[in-house]
Amino acid sequence: MSISFTLARRYMAGRKLRTALTTLAIVLGVMLIFGFNGTLPGMMEWMRKSMLASVGEVDLNVQSASSALFDQRVADKVAAVDGVAAATPVLRRNVTLPEKPDYHTTGITVIGIDPVVSPDVRSYPVAEGRMLAASDDDTNARPVAVIPASTAEKMGLAVGDELVVPAASGAMTFEVVGTLDSPVPPATDEVYVSLPLAQDMFAAPGRASAIEAAFEGGADEETVQEAVGDAVGDGYVIGSVTADSTLAAGFEVAGTIFNVLGLFALAMGGFIILNTFRTIVAERRHDIGMLRAIGASRRQILGLFLTESLVQGVLGTGLGLLAGWGFATVTAAGMSELVGDLMRIESFETSFSVSTWVLAITLGMGATVLSAILPAIAASRITPLDAMRPQLGDVYEKAATKRGWVGLALVAIAAGMLLSGNDGLIGLGGLLLLVGMSLGASAAVKPITDFFSRGIELVYRREGALARANLQRNPGRAGVTVSAVMISLALVTGIMTMTAAVVGGYAEYAEKATGTDYLVIPQGLMLSGGMVGAGPEMAEAVRSTEGVGDVATLRYAPAVVGDLTVQVVGIDAEEYAKVASFRYSEGSSDADLAKLADPDMVLANASFRAQTKTAKGDTVEVMTPEGARTFTIAGGGNDYINAKLPTVYVSQEALADLWGVTADVMVLANATEGADKAAVLQSLGATIDGFPSFKLYDALAWQQVQNDLFGQLEIVYYTLAVVLAIPSLLALLNTLAIGVLARTREIGMLRAVGATRRQVKRLVVAESFLLAAVGTAAGLVAGVPLGYVIVRSIGAVGLEFDFVWPTTGLVVTVIVGLLFAVLAAIIPARQAARLDVIRALRYE
Amino acid sequence: MAIVETKGLTKVYGTGETAVTALDAVDLSLDPGEFVAVMGPSGCGKSTLLNLVGGLDTPTSGTVTIDGREISQLSDDEITRLRRERIGFVFQFFNLIPVLSAVENAALPLILDRGGSARAAAKAEEWLERVGLEDRRANRPDQLSGGQQQRVAVARALVTEPALVLADEPTGNLDSKSSEEIATLLRQVSSEWGRAILMVTHDPRIAAHADRIVFMRDGRIVDDTKIAGAESARDAMERVGLL
Repeated sequence: MSISFTLARRYMAGRKLRTALTTLAIVLGVMLIFGFNGTLPGMMEWMRKSMLASVGEVDLNVQSASSALFDQRVADKVAAVDGVAAATPVLRRNVTLPEKPDYHTTGITVIGIDPVVSPDVRSYPVAEGRMLAASDDDTNARPVAVIPASTAEKMGLAVGDELVVPAASGAMTFEVVGTLDSPVPPATDEVYVSLPLAQDMFAAPGRASAIEAAFEGGADEETVQEAVGDAVGDGYVIGSVTADSTLAAGFEVAGTIFNVLGLFALAMGGFIILNTFRTIVAERRHDIGMLRAIGASRRQILGLFLTESLVQGVLGTGLGLLAGWGFATVTAAGMSELVGDLMRIESFETSFSVSTWVLAITLGMGATVLSAILPAIAASRITPLDAMRPQLGDVYEKAATKRGWVGLALVAIAAGMLLSGNDGLIGLGGLLLLVGMSLGASAAVKPITDFFSRGIELVYRREGALARANLQRNPGRAGVTVSAVMISLALVTGIMTMTAAVVGGYAEYAEKATGTDYLVIPQGLMLSGGMVGAGPEMAEAVRSTEGVGDVATLRYAPAVVGDLTVQVVGIDAEEYAKVASFRYSEGSSDADLAKLADPDMVLANASFRAQTKTAKGDTVEVMTPEGARTFTIAGGGNDYINAKLPTVYVSQEALADLWGVTADVMVLANATEGADKAAVLQSLGATIDGFPSFKLYDALAWQQVQNDLFGQLEIVYYTLAVVLAIPSLLALLNTLAIGVLARTREIGMLRAVGATRRQVKRLVVAESFLLAAVGTAAGLVAGVPLGYVIVRSIGAVGLEFDFVWPTTGLVVTVIVGLLFAVLAAIIPARQAARLDVIRALRYE
Repeated sequence: MAIVETKGLTKVYGTGETAVTALDAVDLSLDPGEFVAVMGPSGCGKSTLLNLVGGLDTPTSGTVTIDGREISQLSDDEITRLRRERIGFVFQFFNLIPVLSAVENAALPLILDRGGSARAAAKAEEWLERVGLEDRRANRPDQLSGGQQQRVAVARALVTEPALVLADEPTGNLDSKSSEEIATLLRQVSSEWGRAILMVTHDPRIAAHADRIVFMRDGRIVDDTKIAGAESARDAMERVGLL
C-alpha cells in the first residue's frame, strides 16, 4: 500500500471523533441524494407500469393532450384510417368510494366500453358469468358491471352481488354479471360498464377519455400511427399514455427538494471538511516540514492530503450510499404503508440507476476532495524550515481583514439589489448577501464576540473571557463555523418567513371562501384528480333545501396552453359573486368577473399569468377538445382552492360548449336571511347523503379543516427547516472538537495550574454559546431578507403572498441556535474535562 | 574533492535599519567522511549555516557547493531531489511521523524516492539493525524512548546512503546517557560508514566526538580546529572562551 494511503488511514484512525464527524457530514448529503433518487424512479416506474398495463393489450391509444374528455366520435375518424381494424371510445375515470359499504379499497377505476366493438380491440376472457352485451347500453335498464376476478376477490364481490358507486346523480347500484381473467394493472381495481352508462354516471354524454384501436394484420405500426395523428388533428397524444401529471409533478418537486437538501448538506459537509483539513495542516506542520526536508516534493505533500481527502470521501460516500439505500428502502416501505392504500399502490421498489450512482458518488467525492484542495495547497507551501519553527498564531488575521472588506462591499451591493423592487435583482441580492456575510464572517468574529461575550461573562466570568480569546485568535476557523451556522439558520428564518407568508396568505383566501355559509366539495382539495362530478340534480337539491338562498357551482376541465397543463374552472359569474369572491390581483375587480358572460373571456389566476407570462388584456391560446381557442384575459383573480395551480375561469356555457363538461365539482351556498343555520346544515346533510363522493361543510367546520391543513403544512416546513439546520450542528460540533484537540496542551496547562474539570467544561460550553450566538445573530440578519426573497420568488411563479414579519420564525431561530449550542458542546466539553493532565501536557 | 564547500556565505534577515546579519561571509569545507561540529553561543548563526548547507533556506550572497553542484543554481525540485538522495537530516525533536512504525519512518526517504516498499523496508530494517533497534522495528514513536526515537531518525537519515548528514542539536532533547549513545553512533556513521557529518551542538561532550570543531560568533567563523579526543576539544573550547 502506498505511503499516502497508509498515512491517511492511520491518521484518520488516530482521530476517531474528528473522522466520525467529518464522515457524518458527507454521509448526510450522499444519503439524501442517493436515497431519494433511488426511490423516485421506483415511484415513476410504478406509475408508468400502472398506466401501460391499463392499455397494455391495445395496439393504439389516443388521448387528448390535456387529459380532458373529448367527443367520442373521434373514434370514427380513427376507425376510418387505413390499417385500423377497429376503434372504440373508452371513458375511464377514477372514483373515490364512500366509506360504506366497505369494499376494502378506497377507490376504483370505472371503465366505460362499447360492448360490441371493444372485444375487437382487446380481449375480455370471462372467468364466470358473462361479458357486457349490447343490451346493457340501455340506461333505463338495471345497470350491470363486469369486474376482473382479482378485483372481485379483493372487494369481496361475486357474480350476482351489488356494487354501489358514486355517480353524478348521486350513487348508482350495479349488478355484477361477470368476472374476467384479464390482467389488472398493479394496485388498481377496475369495473367495466357500458359506455353510455359511464357517460351517464359522470355526466359526460357523448364524451370519451381515450380511443382504443386495433391494427389490421400486417399494417405498418408507424405509418398507421402517423395517419391516425393526421386524422384526429392537434391536441391529441397518439400511441402512448401520459402519467398523471399532477402526481408526477408532485414527485418531481419532492425530488428537487431532496436533491437541494442533499446538495445543501454536502455544501455544509464541504465547510466542515475545509475546517478539518485546515486544522490538520496546522497540526502536522512539523511533520510536513520534516518530509519536505528529507526530500518530499511539494507535489508529494499535495498528494498526501488529497489522498487523505480521497480516503475520507470514499468512507463518507460509501457509508452515505449504504445509508441512502437504507433510507430508500425505509421510505419505499413507509410510503407503501402510509399512502399505498390512498394512492392504490401496493409497493414501491427502490431502483438505483447508473446515473444515481454516478451523481451520488461524484457529489460525495467531489465535495470532499474539492474542500480539501485549498488546505492541501497550503500544506504543499510549508517550507522545511517550518519543521524547526515554533507554531505561529493569528496566521489568518490579514486575509480575514481583506475578505471582510470584500464581504462588506458585497453586503452593501446586496442591500441595494434587495431594495430594487426587481425580482431578478432581489434573488441575486439574497445570494450575494449570504456570500458577503460568509466572507465577512471571519473579520466580524472579533467585534461580535466582544459584544456577545459580555453576556456570557456575566454567567461564566473567567471561562467566558478565555472562550472569547480562543475564538478571536483563530478568526478563520471561527468564521467558517459562523458562516455554516449562519447559512443554516438564515434558511430556517427564511423558511419560517415563507411559512408565515404562505399560511397567512392562505388564511386570507380561506376567509374569503368562508364568506360562504356552506360548501359541498369532493373528497380532496383540488378540483382535478378525476373525482366524480355531480349532475344538475345536486345543485338543484341544494337550492331546494329549505333555508338555502343563493347557490353557486364550480365545474372543472383540464386544458393545455403551450406545454403547460392548466385547469379550466367553469363558473356562473353572477351567482358566484353572490356567494363567494375572488382575491383580485392589482387592477382587477368584480367588473372583470362580470365580463365572463362573454364566452371568449377568461379570468386568470396569478399562477396561470406567471407561468404563461400573460397579463390582463392579453390573449391566450388554449387547447380544447374542440381544437385551439383564443381567449382574452379579462382580469386576474385567485380563489383559495385553485391558487396553487395555473387556472383560468370561464363561463359554464363555454365549458359545456368546448369541453362538454356540465358536472358540478363544487357547490357553494348561503342561508337565507334569518334562517336557522344549524337547521339548514342538518337539512343539507340529508340532501348530500345521496351524493356519497361529496362532503358538506359549514363555514366553521371548513375553517377548522383548513386550520388543520395549515397546521400540517407548518409541521412539514418546520421539519424541513430543522433538517436544513442539522449540518450546521455538525459544523459547530466539529469546530469545538477540533478546538479541544488543538488546545490539548493548553487545557492540560489550565488543569495543572488549578482549573477544575467543571471550569474546563464551562470553557467549551462558553465557546459553543459564543459561536452559536454570532452565527444565530448573523443568521437572523441574513434570514429575514432571504425570507423576503423566497416570498418574492414564489410570487414570481404565481403564488402571490404578502411578506409578513416573521416574529415566530425569529424566536424559533434563536431557540434552535441556543439548542444547537448546548447539543454541540456536550461531547467536546466532556472530552476536554476528562483529559489526563500529564498526557495533555505532553501532547504534540 | 570536498563534499561541502561554502564561499562568502551570507544571510541577512530584514532590510534597512532592522536588517540582521545572521551569517557573514562564511567559508567552510567538509571532506567526505569528515565529522565536523559547529559550536557557538545562541544566535551566532549555527542553525542558519546548517539550513543554508541543506538547501532549506537561500543565502543573501555567497555559494554552497555540495558534491560539486552549486545549489543556488538548482530549481526547487532539483534541491528537493538533492536532499532526498545526497543529504540526511537529524533534528533536535526527532520529527518522526507518529502514526508510522520505526521501520516505516526509517524507510520514508526511499518511499518518497518512489522506491518499492519491500526494498525500502528491507533497507530500513538493515539500518535499524545497524543503529541497534532491530527488535523495535514495529514500534511506533510513542512506544520508543527519546534515544531510540533519535536512532530511528539517524537510520532515516542514512537509509538513502547520503554523502552528507546534517544534524541540528541531535542530543538537545535527550538525557546524558542517550546523548552519549547518539554521539557515539554519529562517530560511527562518520568513521565506519564514511558519511560526512555537519552537526550543530551546544554540548562540549558531544562535540568532542567530532574530527573538527568550528566555532562561530556573530555570524562568523572565529576558530576552526582539528581535534583528537576530548582533551584537545577542551583545549580548543578554552581557547575560544566557550569553557
